[in-house]
Amino acid sequence: MRRPARWDHPFDPNLNESLVEHLLQVAPFKQMDPDRFPPRIPLAGILRNDCRYLNCKPGEIIVREGGYGNSAFLILSGTAIATLQQLPSNPPKRSAEYEMGWWKALSQLWTNPKVAEVRNGQSTANPLNPARTKPANAASMFIQDLPRMLSAGHSAQLTAGEMFGEMAAFTRTPRTTTVVAAVDCELLEIRWQGLRELLKFDSELKRHLDLLYRTNSLHEQLQQTPLFAGLPSRAIQEIATTATFGTWGSFDWNNQFRIAQQSQEASEKILHEPLIVTEGDYVNGLILIRSGFARLSRQHGVGHRTIAYLGKGHTFGLRELYHNWKMKRQLPYLLSLRAIGYVDTIHVPTEIVEKWLFPNLTLEQTPPPIADGQEPLVRERRQQSREEPLETSLLEFLLESRVINGTQAMLVDRDRCTRCDDCVRACAIAHQGNPRFIRSGAIHDHWMIAQACMHCMDPVCMIGCPTGAIRRDEHSGVIHINDSTCIGCGTCANSCPYQNIQMVPIRSSQGEPIIGENDQLPILKATKCDLCMEQLGGPACQRACPHDALLRIDLTSPGPLADFLKGNS
Amino acid sequence: MMNRLISKPNRLTRRRAINALLLGIALFGIAAVVNRFERALMPSAFVTGIVLWLSLCFLAAFNLRKKLSFLPCLGTSAFWMQAHIYTGLGTFAVFGLHVGWRVPDGGLERVLAALYLCVGGSGIYGLYATRTIPKKLTQLRTEPIFESIPRLRTHIAKEALAIIESQVEHNQVLRALYYRQLRPFFENRRTLAYVIAPSARQARLLVNEIHKQDRYLAVADRDASKKLAQLVRERDDLDYHGAMQGRLKSWLILHVACTYSLLIIATLHGVMAHAFAGGLR
Repeated sequence: MRRPARWDHPFDPNLNESLVEHLLQVAPFKQMDPDRFPPRIPLAGILRNDCRYLNCKPGEIIVREGGYGNSAFLILSGTAIATLQQLPSNPPKRSAEYEMGWWKALSQLWTNPKVAEVRNGQSTANPLNPARTKPANAASMFIQDLPRMLSAGHSAQLTAGEMFGEMAAFTRTPRTTTVVAAVDCELLEIRWQGLRELLKFDSELKRHLDLLYRTNSLHEQLQQTPLFAGLPSRAIQEIATTATFGTWGSFDWNNQFRIAQQSQEASEKILHEPLIVTEGDYVNGLILIRSGFARLSRQHGVGHRTIAYLGKGHTFGLRELYHNWKMKRQLPYLLSLRAIGYVDTIHVPTEIVEKWLFPNLTLEQTPPPIADGQEPLVRERRQQSREEPLETSLLEFLLESRVINGTQAMLVDRDRCTRCDDCVRACAIAHQGNPRFIRSGAIHDHWMIAQACMHCMDPVCMIGCPTGAIRRDEHSGVIHINDSTCIGCGTCANSCPYQNIQMVPIRSSQGEPIIGENDQLPILKATKCDLCMEQLGGPACQRACPHDALLRIDLTSPGPLADFLKGNS
Repeated sequence: MMNRLISKPNRLTRRRAINALLLGIALFGIAAVVNRFERALMPSAFVTGIVLWLSLCFLAAFNLRKKLSFLPCLGTSAFWMQAHIYTGLGTFAVFGLHVGWRVPDGGLERVLAALYLCVGGSGIYGLYATRTIPKKLTQLRTEPIFESIPRLRTHIAKEALAIIESQVEHNQVLRALYYRQLRPFFENRRTLAYVIAPSARQARLLVNEIHKQDRYLAVADRDASKKLAQLVRERDDLDYHGAMQGRLKSWLILHVACTYSLLIIATLHGVMAHAFAGGLR
């Protein structure tokens, strides 16, 4: 069998050479120097294979706020509207597109192969997980009352030559705005892999995107932060102009994390996390977490004790700033803020916060007072975040193992788990006889985070995939692998910091390994938990546990875990 | 204490209370029907027999549900487990009503009653085991998967041999101890007595024995001695896991096997009872 390769499955099979020629004459591609691109990844090749031509009708939703994006859009002609308005209806959390019917679900009992990892000999496509590209006649969603929506404000017009959606694709975060076609629009959708190559080999595009972020996305992000939501637009404007950006840690933090896990003591690991703010520093502004996670800690003995962790949209320093403004006294930062992995921050200077934010704070937003000379207690800080407290050792464990990245972590209560492996068997039935997780993993007390894909908030496994085979479902946020476009390079498995992706040799239905035509080596495919997105009832593992010992839980904020522990205690 | 009494019950306590209440209502209903039949001088054994047989079918269906984990309409396995436990407990009362709280006198009935007690008894044991053994396993340092235990045992045995062969070539003390006491421990499987009632006694004795040799070892060799003691502890944890996880699996095999036998004989008993009694009047 021929070994699968990148660009075997173009993003848009209908995109022809004449359109590629046309695109090469359109900005920003015409400013790019094709000679900067290596021969194996030519500019025309990227346009031919990593781009998709879209034609949208007026009112058609191009991207939806909250949805996950794996691509950016360039407007070729027409006008689109970016809006912060809440859409009338939310899309379903699970994609019905992937779900199998009742009969097919039942027939798994007798149609599942007896041999592990069986694939069709002719093609490596998994019959239950075919290549999914949006067909030309795919159903689209429309805004019925577009003029009314636009008149409500908080919207911006995007015209030909402008790009949108690139931040969500790059930072692997949900889209912050909804973009709707205002008139007939021609768009070029560039999938993340193509965008990555364009940025890698052409620095002009990167500068262009940075400028776009400051002029467009920052405004949107500030308006969406609850603390700034009620501010007038000129306040937002001034904050956006004066704010400075900070980037902490490495974009591919997973490699450093893996090394640290193997070599460092627990007390040392925290010292290797980049310090954004040090406890006792002069308070010079408010810090807003733009993406990633940060640890709040305080000196304790010769080490540092974790107090809480902050995620996207959380702020740091508000309490101290407010105290200093109110009392006209100077109190330093009372806690340290450290980057866990890769963190983007926005720093808003003190004078801007005092000028615009404090006079407009609602009672609910007002931070609790700090008594003179008294450091806030751990409990107070937690009360401030209005979340149930997690015990310190559990917090330390969650941060040390970085499982706070998981939106669907598999939490196993070992005090209740009878090790019956019903969960593993249910998983195998739902995946053609192949379990997609291992009931083993990081342990704290009687809790275990099993080795199952956690569908991370920041899925670093997606960074290096050359074909886009591993991608995030737009609606549900589930990270899944398209078996037919996976070329078995193993980049995702090597990138996953939690070893939750397995490379498996595929077999024919007779159980023989399928080997490559030229090299005579087994063909590998990446496999992992897909949260049973094709099954009718959701994750089979959780539904199969008879003892309520297994739970898929969002650990990106302490709330769900704290609520669960409170319910069980 | 007072706080505990007046604090809001947790999710599991609430569930237990609701399930017990539902079971109580169901049993009260069945007892009322039986009472009504007996007042009318009609045999109540048919009613209790049918209830028992249906309950048995429902209890046995739990195993089928496990195979159909992908069908959402069937509910979660945890829900079935709760229904299984409380229905199973309820059948004790129905069984008592059915046999009139006495030992059955027929041959088939005695076999049936014995099988029922086997199923019920293994069920009660299972309930106890699944609530207590996991907590014991959690206290250990390792969390091996049952199927990987033999491989891990071999790995530990190889590690111990490697320590003896590489680290203490010139030292005969540890070598002698290894071949005399440690090697049989590392390379052999535990006895049936250990599997039935696992105990850390042997491991403790071996660790003590290793420590007793420390005074005869060079400082450099004491590191090897510590590693050997650690391997003994690891092996003991692994054996304990093997014994307890094996127990959690084997009781279920017994429970399921007895259930199917009971179901077959109960069906036969029901058919015969109806055939010779002329059915429900």
